[in-house]
Amino acid sequence: MVTIIDPHIKRDDNYKIHKEATSNGYYVKNKDGQDYDGWCWPGSSGWLDFTNPEIRKYWASKFALDEYEGSTESLFTWNDMNEPSVFNGPEVTMHKDAKHFLDWEHRDVHNVYGLYQQMSTAQGQIQRSTKNERPFVLSRAFFSGSQRWGAVWTGDNTGEWAHLKISMPMLLSLNLVGITFSGADVGGFFKNPDAELLTRWYQAGAYQPFLRAHAHLDTRRREPWLQPEENMKAIREAIRARYSLLPYWYTLFYVGEIRGGPIMKPLWVDFPADKATFTDEDSYMIGSALLVHPVTDAGSSGVNVYFPGKTVWYDVDTYTVYPGGMTHYIPVTLNKIPVFQKGGTIIPRKNRIRRASNLGRFDPYTLVICLDPQGSAEGDLYIDDYHTFRYRQGEYIYRKFTFENKKLKNRNIDYKGTYKTTSWLEQVVIVGLQNKPTHVEVTGSSSERKSLDHSYIPETKVLVIRRPGVNIGEDWTISLQ
Amino acid sequence: MAAMKRHVLYIVRLKRYLSSYLGTILILVSLIGSSVRAEVGRPRGVAISKSSFYKPGDTFTCLDNSAVLPYSQVNDDYCDCKDGTDEPGTSACPNGFFHCTNAGHKPMYIPSSRVGDSICDCCDGTDEYSGEVICDNTCKELGRAAKEERERKKQLLGEGYEIRKQYCEQGKTAKEEKRSRLEQLQYDKVQSETIRNDMEALKNQAEIPEKEAKDKHQQAWEAEKASRQANREIDQITSAFKELDKNGDQFMSKEELQLHPEMDIDNNTVVSDTEAKEHLEDNDQVDFDTFKDKVWPNIKDIYRSPEPVAEEPPEGSTVEPEESPPVDPEMEADNDKDLDEEDDDDEEDDRKDERGEEGSPPAQEEEKMPDYDEETKKLIEDAALARANFDEADKRFRDTEKELNDINSFLNMDLGPDEVFYPLKDQCYEFTDREYIYKLCPFDQASQRPKSGGTETNLGRWGHWAGPENNKYENMKFEKGLNCWNGPDRSVLVTLHCGTNNEIVSVAEPNRCEYTFNFNTPAVCIDTTPEEPHDEHDEL
Repeated sequence: MVTIIDPHIKRDDNYKIHKEATSNGYYVKNKDGQDYDGWCWPGSSGWLDFTNPEIRKYWASKFALDEYEGSTESLFTWNDMNEPSVFNGPEVTMHKDAKHFLDWEHRDVHNVYGLYQQMSTAQGQIQRSTKNERPFVLSRAFFSGSQRWGAVWTGDNTGEWAHLKISMPMLLSLNLVGITFSGADVGGFFKNPDAELLTRWYQAGAYQPFLRAHAHLDTRRREPWLQPEENMKAIREAIRARYSLLPYWYTLFYVGEIRGGPIMKPLWVDFPADKATFTDEDSYMIGSALLVHPVTDAGSSGVNVYFPGKTVWYDVDTYTVYPGGMTHYIPVTLNKIPVFQKGGTIIPRKNRIRRASNLGRFDPYTLVICLDPQGSAEGDLYIDDYHTFRYRQGEYIYRKFTFENKKLKNRNIDYKGTYKTTSWLEQVVIVGLQNKPTHVEVTGSSSERKSLDHSYIPETKVLVIRRPGVNIGEDWTISLQ
Repeated sequence: MAAMKRHVLYIVRLKRYLSSYLGTILILVSLIGSSVRAEVGRPRGVAISKSSFYKPGDTFTCLDNSAVLPYSQVNDDYCDCKDGTDEPGTSACPNGFFHCTNAGHKPMYIPSSRVGDSICDCCDGTDEYSGEVICDNTCKELGRAAKEERERKKQLLGEGYEIRKQYCEQGKTAKEEKRSRLEQLQYDKVQSETIRNDMEALKNQAEIPEKEAKDKHQQAWEAEKASRQANREIDQITSAFKELDKNGDQFMSKEELQLHPEMDIDNNTVVSDTEAKEHLEDNDQVDFDTFKDKVWPNIKDIYRSPEPVAEEPPEGSTVEPEESPPVDPEMEADNDKDLDEEDDDDEEDDRKDERGEEGSPPAQEEEKMPDYDEETKKLIEDAALARANFDEADKRFRDTEKELNDINSFLNMDLGPDEVFYPLKDQCYEFTDREYIYKLCPFDQASQRPKSGGTETNLGRWGHWAGPENNKYENMKFEKGLNCWNGPDRSVLVTLHCGTNNEIVSVAEPNRCEYTFNFNTPAVCIDTTPEEPHDEHDEL
């Protein structure tokens, strides 16, 4: 559960935080040295000076379970309005000559104010935990470095097609500067999107790093189950598609933590030599394996998608193959999201449906292998306990899958990782396999060979290998003959 | 086999030594026995009613006949059937279902996605068997609570139904009464219309001579007044002339005029020759007749008699209080028209008084129109009577018409099956929330007002029954209430529930300015729920 905590504090003597802030001098000051007084949601408000490390410590301490009444370890935070937003301030923010820690004027520290609050809140959640739990903090204001503390979103947008369209270049820009865990309000904050727009927005949002539907209090209710049946189903499918890709997203974010780099990328990042990608804002990559081109027009019956590179691309629903280096017309219906897996990649999925991602942490995997023209592919997978910091002490798994010479291998590429999981491999799908194999078998660490049932669809050149049953965290090889 | 034998011996021993607990333990043991049997006889997650499809053997056929599998592939944690029926006990199939026996409570199907997710969905906990989480068996308590709830509902329904029967009686009776009254009224209407028309004719008839007589009287009075006025004016002119003619030579000269400073035209406090001559129509002097005809009109408004006049009414006071002179009762019965004329006359007279005429009160009395003569008075009396008769007949007719319309509207109202909602009509029910008091008047309107006092806001007028196709009386819609700024007109959707009292039990505003009320009433205490199939899924 996530609840909202804004940086403005109500000037009310019955409010503990206000009393403490006043007596300790924690509020940002105005140019005359008194507590800065501005107007916000509660009326007359003060703002804690998050640029001061002592005050950040104070703020963080407020998240302790015995301080924050009613909170539990499953309660997380959304820091809204932390530009800061001041209704009666210039440009609706704090006066430029307000005074901060070490006599800095607000004009000099304005851009980091929100980051400091998010940082402090995250630290508060980390400190309050008795079980080494990771924090979650969503923030509206951010700066370089915010990506280390939580997620951000693009603020008060509107339920219109133009805003859906523009979410892509906005998020791509954010990813390029390191703010990877970012998203836009699905459905738009202001106004009432129609069912089709809402559906297309869920579809786009499902393939963006931070997925959240949100709206202004005065808008009409728009939960998926209140939509017409067809739209409800399409929205459900989009959400399920995202959930099935969580292992892939999770791996991308792990690699992002270690090495940095954008997760949602403009095409030219992976294809810098392909000039046709330079102006393409309608398609983007998720990692290096998925190309996504959401539908962003009302009543659309198809989209033109440019496929870069000297490789092939496979539609993730139909496995139709598209050679790279050209534009193809992709017909769409209401429930179709144009998503393509690059030839030469292996994506780990969890196809079992769950009500919440945490409920599937022991579920088995399906590996979807899309072959490049040379018949090879590779991919990786990162696993940990999904909620604590113990991965920093080595409790994780990081493995690599390779398919070449008709052999699929699972190998450990980080021996520092000591985690054990019960998750296993329930299915392998190999796309672009030219010939049906006569025999498929898996060899585990014990060297026992087990024959595996399989079925081959010649129309789409797809091989489905049934129930290898091996542990995903162990070495094994599946061979085709 | 050995296990079974052991069970039997156990039972025998217990029979001998624990007779008082025999019943309970026997049941427990046989439950354990039956679950062992289930594990062997039917796969996990399969209901007894479907166990015939899962008879152990070499093969298994998907229930949709889409494939035949080796029996070992049933519940092997891999989805092989298109319809998900090979995995009743695991989460492998996206469209599969798991059956919980839930002995002690209701058996239930849950989606396969809830098997093995560490959440205890079945009260008997059979959906979680990996050991990750241990589920308590809560079926007994839930079963007991469900039974109590069922009984409570049944009781409520029973009580409510009795009241509901009364409502139907009341409603039917009311409509019948109104229907018979309707017949009577329709007859009455025709009658009263005829009478009214007759009275109207009589009235018109009587008013003709009345008007004639009154007009005649009025005209005579006007003539009288005019002559009096003329006489008064002559007097005024005469005394003014007398006063102005200082030397008494029967001529008023310009010098004599110049003695009066109020004759000054250009406000330089001096009456010049030019100014005097202007008043005198370019004469140096005028005789009485010329003065009366030509000069007096010029100066009558500015001439000031130098002698102080007794009882000059103060400047600025306009008309005396309209305490009209005592009025004849006959004149009272006249149209207001006459009285107004009289008032106008008084006003005119008072204005004349202001100009300095002596003796205003007595003058007023002089100006009163004399009484009508006896003949006229009689005509007036007759006409008044005719008018009164007409008014009465007209009123009676209108009242009949109104009642007729009201009854028709009432009879057209949809008061539900057997007019069951009749007792709710003309009633209002209130509900107090944190900030507001909400009021619901069925078939009329809904509103809210602040608890702390303040104006009432209209949330909607009666619109229509708004329930689903199979039962429109489940909901009431009130609409076109006060408009919300930048939003819709306020409206209320009322959902009716069975209850022994008519009352609003909750209020919400799920969308801005679109309200929902939950309203209890005995009027809906009938069993509308179809026999619950207890979530049995018939895939075939």
